[in-house]
Amino acid sequence: MEKYWNKEIECASREDMKKLQDERLVAQVKHVYENVKYYRDLMDEKGVKPEDIKGTDDLYKLPFLSKADLREAYPYGLLAKPLNECVRIQSTSGTTGKRVVAFYTQNDVDMWEDCCARAITAAGGTSDDVVQVAYGYGLFTGGAGLHGGSHKVGSLTLPMSSGNTDRQIQFMRDLGATILCCTPSYAAYIGETLHEMGLTPDDIQLKAGIFGAEPWTEEMRRSIEKSLGIKAYDIYGLTESSGPGVAFECSEQSGMHINEDNFIPEIIDPETGEVLPEGEVGELVFSSITKEAFPLLRYRTRDLCVLSRKKCSCGRTLIKMAKPMGRSDDMLIIRGVNVFPSQIETVLIEQGYSPNYLIEVDRVNNTDTLDVSVEMNPDQFSDKVKDMQKLERDLAEAMKTMLGINPKVHLVSPKSITRSEGKAVRVIDRRKLHD
Amino acid sequence: MSNVRQISVFVENKPNKLAEAMKLLKNSKINIRAMALADTKDFGILRLIVNDTEKTVDILKDASYAVTVTEIVAISIPDSPGQLSRVLDILGEKGVNLEYLYAFIGKSDKSVSFVIRVDDNDNAYAALTEAGIIQLTENDIAEM
Repeated sequence: MEKYWNKEIECASREDMKKLQDERLVAQVKHVYENVKYYRDLMDEKGVKPEDIKGTDDLYKLPFLSKADLREAYPYGLLAKPLNECVRIQSTSGTTGKRVVAFYTQNDVDMWEDCCARAITAAGGTSDDVVQVAYGYGLFTGGAGLHGGSHKVGSLTLPMSSGNTDRQIQFMRDLGATILCCTPSYAAYIGETLHEMGLTPDDIQLKAGIFGAEPWTEEMRRSIEKSLGIKAYDIYGLTESSGPGVAFECSEQSGMHINEDNFIPEIIDPETGEVLPEGEVGELVFSSITKEAFPLLRYRTRDLCVLSRKKCSCGRTLIKMAKPMGRSDDMLIIRGVNVFPSQIETVLIEQGYSPNYLIEVDRVNNTDTLDVSVEMNPDQFSDKVKDMQKLERDLAEAMKTMLGINPKVHLVSPKSITRSEGKAVRVIDRRKLHD
Repeated sequence: MSNVRQISVFVENKPNKLAEAMKLLKNSKINIRAMALADTKDFGILRLIVNDTEKTVDILKDASYAVTVTEIVAISIPDSPGQLSRVLDILGEKGVNLEYLYAFIGKSDKSVSFVIRVDDNDNAYAALTEAGIIQLTENDIAEM
């Protein structure tokens, strides 16, 4: 029996949802135009007045906002409420440059936690559950978001933060955690450690996991599900639009429902900025229509994905976004071919390797090189050199089929690639050093 | 059957990697009786015959090394011209395919020992026994 946190919203008719979005968008545009100079300037420059926006159909008229704008406006330039009405600051990890800080009023925090409560409920969570939050706590939104959501649901919340994996497993066992929230790479590591300790999924009581904050593949999902004996749910979000919970997965596990009462999604052509019809792949753009302190309209996420309004078996009518294929920032262009780390991960898991790998891109004699270091699977180890070289060749061949270019594959020792307790670093692009 | 167990270890082809593996064995007082290292650009495969196979495998696996144990044939032949050639002829006549071989220190200075990795141990064993070639047991090697 599917459970909803807010059935009225999650299963609303399209007409009702659109009406709600129209009202909220009109009010939001007025709010930012009146209170944020940065927006006013952008809109004036584009010749758009708040009166021009009568509903979601007029969304396309608004200017885009990008990470560059956020950096330029750092720290207070996009703040839409007086600081004394704000109660919280969170920040991005800053992996791709200068940090972005986001501000929250109490209503913003409530909205965000409500979104996370929907995600936990969709993963089967109730007040009977013990939710282990192994996302990092602190400025990073992962810990705070799921922590707050778990409180709303009334689950017993274990605020573990990330790291200290032995203790994670000990608490998981001793306190009977039933839902784990962390990054997928950390979930995989916890699973690996569990097995190394001689334990099996029967020794823990986990039934579900809510994993997000970095791209992961279907293959990785199945591998985590098996190693921890759970059903693994994806969750999506970004600090810029609150944190995790912008979209969440349901029992169907085929894309994430966007909380479109708070966030209106669009898919655009990343080159031209033109809005693309449903079903086409492009850059995901969000407009936060309920946020008070830090409301971003038409914010370009850099995530490439596709939207779908296809009827979902869970009963929710919220629009679904597919798992992002990668960030346009993560995309590597190697010898003119677009390569996503997730494609390499897919091949590795299919071929029975661990999803711990390192991609190194360089330029030698004006030609791009792609080297992939892969931890060898001890079960496939042979004393014969020719067998081992065949493993490397087979892997390179499978990657070539997937990517369209020839990588060099290097087998390295098991467990020699640094494990991540948060967001994993998978790519080293040395070409940037030469440019 | 006198099959001898050989331990193979995956070692990355980077400075100090072999030394790290050797240090582990040293610290546990493992004595290496025979060894060979096959190398490629990225990695090497270290092949070992030791005085305590189980313990060595445990130590290496605990340290996250990829390890595999295979049965090989070990022989002792006189240290004179033409002896190895004779052994290879015997195997060749029986259609036994050789993967690799390496020599190690024998019981005396009048004989030399070889590890022979073949695709068919039973066939090799029968052929060598029939030709009167001395085959070593794991115990023989441990006590050398």
